[in-house]
Parts: sequence; C-alpha cells; structure tokens
Amino acid sequence: MNNSLKKSRLYLLGLLPFFLIAFLFEILPLANIVVESFSKTGGNGFTLEHFFKIFTTRLYQQSIFNSLWISIFSAFIGIVIAFLGAKAANAASIKIRNIFTSVLNITSNFAGVPLAFAFMILLGNVGILTLIGKNYGIGFLADFDLYTINGLLLTYIYFQIPLATLLMLPIFGGLKKEWKEAVGILGGNSFHYWFKVAIPSLLPSILGTFSVLFANSLAAYGTAYALLSNNIALLPIRISQQYVGEVVQNQEFGCALSLVMMALMVLSILITNKLQKRATGGRS
Amino acid sequence: MKTKTHVWDVIILLLIAAFLILPLALTFFYSVFTQWTDILPTGFTLSFYAGIFSDGAFINSLLRSIIISFVPVVICTISILLVLYVITLYVPKMEKYIEILCNIPYAIQGVILAAGVISLYSGKPGFLSNRIFLLVGAYCIIILPYVFRGLKNTIGALNVQCVIEAAQVLGCSKFHAFFSIVIPQMKRGIVSTMMLAFTMLFADFVVVNMIAGSSFRTAGIYLYQTMSKSGQTSSAIIVILFITTLIISTLTMIIQNKQTVKGRKS
Amino acid sequence: MSYIEFRGICKSYDGVNQVLKNIDLNIEKGELVTLLGPSGCGKSTLLRSLAGLEEISSGKIILDGEDITNLPVQKRGIGMVFQQYSLFQNMNVEDNIAFGLKIAKVDKLVISDKVKRAIEMVDLVGKEKSYPSQLSGGQQQRVAIARAIVMEPKVLLLDEPLSAIDAKLRRELQEKIKHVQKKLKITTIFVTHDQDEAMIMSDRIHLMNQGIIEQSGRPVDLYTHPVSKFAAEFIGHYNILDKRKLNILLPFEKFDDGFYAIRPETVHIQSEPIMDDGMYVFEATVENVISRGNVLRYTLRCGDVCFTSEVLFRSFALFEEGQKVCVGIEPHNVLPIRD
Repeated sequence: MNNSLKKSRLYLLGLLPFFLIAFLFEILPLANIVVESFSKTGGNGFTLEHFFKIFTTRLYQQSIFNSLWISIFSAFIGIVIAFLGAKAANAASIKIRNIFTSVLNITSNFAGVPLAFAFMILLGNVGILTLIGKNYGIGFLADFDLYTINGLLLTYIYFQIPLATLLMLPIFGGLKKEWKEAVGILGGNSFHYWFKVAIPSLLPSILGTFSVLFANSLAAYGTAYALLSNNIALLPIRISQQYVGEVVQNQEFGCALSLVMMALMVLSILITNKLQKRATGGRS
Repeated sequence: MKTKTHVWDVIILLLIAAFLILPLALTFFYSVFTQWTDILPTGFTLSFYAGIFSDGAFINSLLRSIIISFVPVVICTISILLVLYVITLYVPKMEKYIEILCNIPYAIQGVILAAGVISLYSGKPGFLSNRIFLLVGAYCIIILPYVFRGLKNTIGALNVQCVIEAAQVLGCSKFHAFFSIVIPQMKRGIVSTMMLAFTMLFADFVVVNMIAGSSFRTAGIYLYQTMSKSGQTSSAIIVILFITTLIISTLTMIIQNKQTVKGRKS
Repeated sequence: MSYIEFRGICKSYDGVNQVLKNIDLNIEKGELVTLLGPSGCGKSTLLRSLAGLEEISSGKIILDGEDITNLPVQKRGIGMVFQQYSLFQNMNVEDNIAFGLKIAKVDKLVISDKVKRAIEMVDLVGKEKSYPSQLSGGQQQRVAIARAIVMEPKVLLLDEPLSAIDAKLRRELQEKIKHVQKKLKITTIFVTHDQDEAMIMSDRIHLMNQGIIEQSGRPVDLYTHPVSKFAAEFIGHYNILDKRKLNILLPFEKFDDGFYAIRPETVHIQSEPIMDDGMYVFEATVENVISRGNVLRYTLRCGDVCFTSEVLFRSFALFEEGQKVCVGIEPHNVLPIRD
C-alpha cells in the first residue's frame, strides 16, 4: 500500500496552475494569432488577403521598414555609446564606476509614456531647449522636430543606453589585463589591442546585447504612442490600432500584423544565434 | 598617455550621465515651477503635487496600478515555485519543456501578447472576456520569463536534493520539507524576483491600454490622459510614479542586505 | 537472525547495468561496520536503499525483525549524515537538531533536554544559536551527527561524511564518531572509499567492488588475509604475483596455478646473505627508493619481475639504487588469492 502511495502521481498537480496560465494566455492566444491571420475578416475561411494587404499597402510597408530601421539604428547607436561608456567605466575608479552604475540603474526605469513626455518638455514645440535655441539662435535646437521618426529615434536611443551599458559592463569585466600586456610585449599598440583582440573576443556578447536591444525597441510602444499617437507608421502602433481607437477595428488583420512582427523577432534571434556561432568559431 | 585616456574616460562618463539625467531632472523642475520660457524657470510652487493628491482619481489609479501589478506577480511566483517543486524533486526531465514555455514570452512582448489575448477572448461569454481577468493573465505571461529565471537561479544555488533527503530521513514529507526548508532559504531571491516583476508591470502601458483601455484606469493611463491637459500636473505624476519605482527597488536592496547581515551576525 | 539483513538486493537504473548484484549482507546490533570500496562500486546505493532514498529492483531489507523494503523513508527510523553539508541553512544549530523531534511532535521540554545533550555529545556547546553558514565544515558535520543521533535511530548511516574535510580535522572527527558510537551503542554503517579510515573506524569492513561484496571481515583479517586480487590491491598495496613470476624469484619451489599476494612489509631485505631455512631467499636489485616519512619503500627487480618492500626507516639499513640485496620472505606470507 505504501508503495502505491509512493508511486502516485499526486505531485503533478503542482504543474496545474502553471500549465493553466500558460495554456490560456500563451499557447491559445499564440495559436489564435496564427489561425486568425489566415481567416477572412469577421468570418471563417482561409485567406491570404491580410498578408497581401500588408506587403502591398504603402502604410504597412513603411511600418515594417520604420520599425526595422529604428530598432537597428537605436540598437546600434546604443551599443556604440554603451561600449564607450562601459570601457570608460571599466577604466575609472570603483567610486566613479559605482556612481555611474547607479545613474544607469535609476534611468533604466525611465521609459515609455513618461520618457516621451520628458522629451516633449525638453525638445517639443515649446520645449525648453527649443525655446533656448530660438532665443539664442541655435539653429539645430530651434529647428529640431521631435514629432518625426528622427525625434522618435532620439527617445529610443535614450532608453537603449542604460540597458545596453548595464549589459556591457560585466562583459568588459571579462577582458584580461594580461591580453593588453601580451599585445604590448608583441609590439602592438592599443589600436591592435582593441581591434585585433578585445573587440573580437567581446563580439559574441555584443551581438547578444544587440539582439536584446533590437527586440526591446521593436516591441516599444508607450513612447511612440505618447509622442505621435496613431500618426506614425510603426508596427506596434499599427497593431494596437486594430484593437483600440477610432479607426474601424479589424482583429484578423491585427493578428496578421502581429504574426509579421513575431516573425521579425524570431528572425532577429536566429540571425544573432548564427552570427554568435560564427563569432565564437563554432566553439560554444 | 595614460592620464590622458583617464580624462577622456571621465568626460565620456559625464556626457552619458548628463544625457541620461537631463530629461529626468527637467521633468522634476518642470513640476515645481509655474513658468519656464527662458533658461531658468520662475515661480516655484508645490501646488501641482497638492492638486494631484487632493484628486481622488489619481490616488485611485495609483492603487489600481499597485493591485493589478501585485496580483499577477503573486500568482506567477506561486505557480513557478510549484513547478520548481515538481521538476527538482520528481521529473527533472520536464525542465526543458517548461523552460521553452517560459522563454516564448521574450518573443511575444507587449503588443503581440495583448493582440493575441483580446483577439481570442473579446466577445467570449462569462468571465473569459472580463478585462481584469485577461489583464491579470496577460501580465502573468509578461513576467513569466523573468520570474522563472530568477527563481530557478535561486533554487539552483541551493543543495535542494540533499537537504530534502536529510529532512525525509528525519521524518518530514517532501512537500513539507520543500516549503519549510527550501523556500525559506530562497526568501531573498523570491523577494527580489517579485520586486523586479512588479516594477516591470507597474511601468506597463501597452498591455493595459490595449486590453482594458479607459475601462481600467491605471496610473499609466491616467498620466496619458492628463498629458494633453496640463504639462505641470503630468510631470508631477511622472515624478511620483518614478519615485515609487525607485523606492521599491531601493527597498529590495535594503531587504536583501538586512538578510545577509542578520545571517552573519547572530 | 541479524539486526539488519540485506537479502538478494539487486539495483539497476537502466534495466541493463546492475549497480548492486544480488547482495546478501548481515549486520549485528551495536556494530560499526564500513562499506568500503572505490567510487561507483555501489556502496552508497546500498546504504541509500536501507534509508529508503533509493528504490531497489529486487530483494528484501529487514531491520530489527521488520521487513522495511516498502516502507517510506520517514517511517524507517534511520539517522543519516550525508557527504555534502545538508544542514538547513535557515535554522540555527539548535533548530536543526530539534527538527526531527518537532516533526515527531515530541514534548517541548523533552526536545530541549535531548537537544542539549546531543550538543554536548558533539562538543558544540556555545554554538547553539549559530547558523550553518557561520560554522566550519567539521562543525557542520558534527551538527549533522547530532541531528541524526538525537532521534535515537535504529541505525545510523554515514555516507562519506568526512570526505570534504581536510586531513587533520578528519582524524579528530573519526575519533569523535567512534566515541559517540561506542557510548550510545548505536548500530552504524559507515561508507568510505578511504581504506585507512575504514581500518581506523570499523568493527567490521565489507569491501565492495562492482556491485558485489568482495570480502567481509575484521579490519585486521582483511588487511592480513585478502582473498582476491582486488582486495589485496585496494587494502594493502600488496605485491601481486602469478605462478610464473614467483618461479622466476624462486625457481626451485613448487606453486599452484593462480595469483599470490605478498605484503610489502613482509619482504625482508639485507645486504648479507640470509641464513634461515624457513624462509624463501633470493637476490634482487634495488631499482628505486622512496621515503614516505617513517617508511622506506624499495622497488626491487629480479629478472623481469618488479616488486616492493617496505621497511621502517632506520639509518643503518640504507640501500642505494642499483645495489644488490638479499631478499627473504616467510612462506606463510605468500598468500594465494582469487583472480
């Protein structure tokens, strides 16, 4: 009897809450996105019309392009700044590094709608820097238009920097002092060190960071929505528009757009993995 | 040459820090002055803060935010702890499948998840189309990867198998041992994981905006609606929300430190 | 009937390789026995099957007249100390030791009395309120021992409890465990891979190899009369020679087929010829000499046969490499063994 008690599968009940949540809110919605993307609006039946519309309409082509463009650029610029920042922080004293890290930790919480608002009062039509620019004739401040994709890019770069630097700091910790010394002994200068030794050895981690940043800005919504409402061709905005707002709602089309965005996410992960493998020479 | 690079390093750090702090600091100053049309603002006032706190609508939205962020964190944490109980003690082979399920949300962040959930459930009968219910469920999925990873790392640092066996030999059941010995040892990890998940949800805008919209006004939604009305009030709200987040993260660290100190001292 | 009986224990994880192969083993009440063997020999598995932490594929385990084969761990009345530190980190020393008694719902006053005595027994007075993280490895294992004995178990199982502890402390703890065991007269099974430790601690040793019990006996019997090649090599660094090699050393003696074991310290060497009719006598060359503290270990060669001799380090008996020496072995020290 005791043996049968031991063999009972009662413990499997422990998995129930998790599977219930995952099933209801992860697996089913995902499956539903796929199914609805290929369903006719408001009814049943297989169709490719949504995807046809996405890839032939100027607005949606532009949305995909803008989403990719802003994600790649903000990630790239974020990485470059983070690289310089992490390199500098790594060379600085512990006290300075700690202060810098605190600034990163604090500002990494600053994103979404609040961030958009902060940039509006900074660089909006009556923003403080804009006014200063006008009053003192500083052209690029006075004429800066926040409510464009370039303005949006600036805000994206802002939220990428703390995240990117926080991810890069530990990576820099992995650089060995001996490598630099070895390069020196072999007659190399710091150019050789950085471009032949340090950056190649950091590359897999940098690619990983890039992937995180890319996904981060591809999915970003609050900042763009607060800054430009629905007046911008950007994938997340176009998706949400199918569900909320004044325009006629079309959830099958929203599902198709979501599927496209998901494909971009997965694609970026796959590409990074591939590049990472190549960068490590197939080691890991 | 060495000192030169050092100066450059400091300048770089200063520039980055200045860029990051500028919008934040500005938002704060904006909230305590009535006029700002030149380099320096004029007319110091705290009236915007007074206004917010005398406005019941904001307090309510803040409470809504706290509750709607806290409930999914608790549900998710308990579910994952139960999962960890089963996979560490009974079916370790299952871990990789659970891990896949917990990593998928990385690829369906925010907008996609919200789209999936409303497409599926809106218009469905009964509790399934209840917006709050959907929001809680979607929030559980948003934080799933972070909660799973945080708790798994915590439990991985413990010698669970051996400790459970020791307790069993002393007459204790596996289940009791897990919850009276293993979980108390995970306290720090659990608290910090929950805090992290909480701050993520507390800052959410996209999911709540898409799933609940104006029918469930959280602080984020309230802020968005205020933005077009009053700049200064908005910045005051931002400052309050931001400070709330900072207090939570600081509290997390204090709790963690206290525990280590306590463990060492007595 | 013995106090503990293992009857026909088999264990396999994959259904193909057997970790335990039909083990029969009896242990008497009050004994301290050691399961000795190299890693992977099945000694820990056998111990854990007695505790109920490992299911056996077939066989029967009897403890104190009761068949416990299918009894859950919690009901077996066993105390156990593990190789890894297994103290409950969230409880102090006192609470760790009291844990089992609390689960058994023992009266509070009785608990505090028993815990106090257990703490005295393992010399941890003053550490009652300490947390495991504040204790050394040795102290942690003492707490683990106290936690086990406070339950007054029918049998105490020690699964390599000292292997993570450094050498000097280990000797102290070996003494301590033996002392506690004798005082409480508690039946104890000790698992180790260290033959010195087994020699020091045990009343009986069961030497295991590849899922079977190779030899059982008192430490001194095991040391002086190994029955197999494995036992001879594992316990005493014996010289193992077959009939052919023995005949190279001693061409005129008759030996049966098979293997023979010769303990290094029974191989006498001197520079002058040995005049003793009762001894096997022959000549060999010193190949190599190593000093192991108070013992000198000579590697000797005779023809293509190499063997070792160990002698106490006395300054007047030094031989150099390449030197010819006379070797003497008493015939009763040439032990026939199984392959």
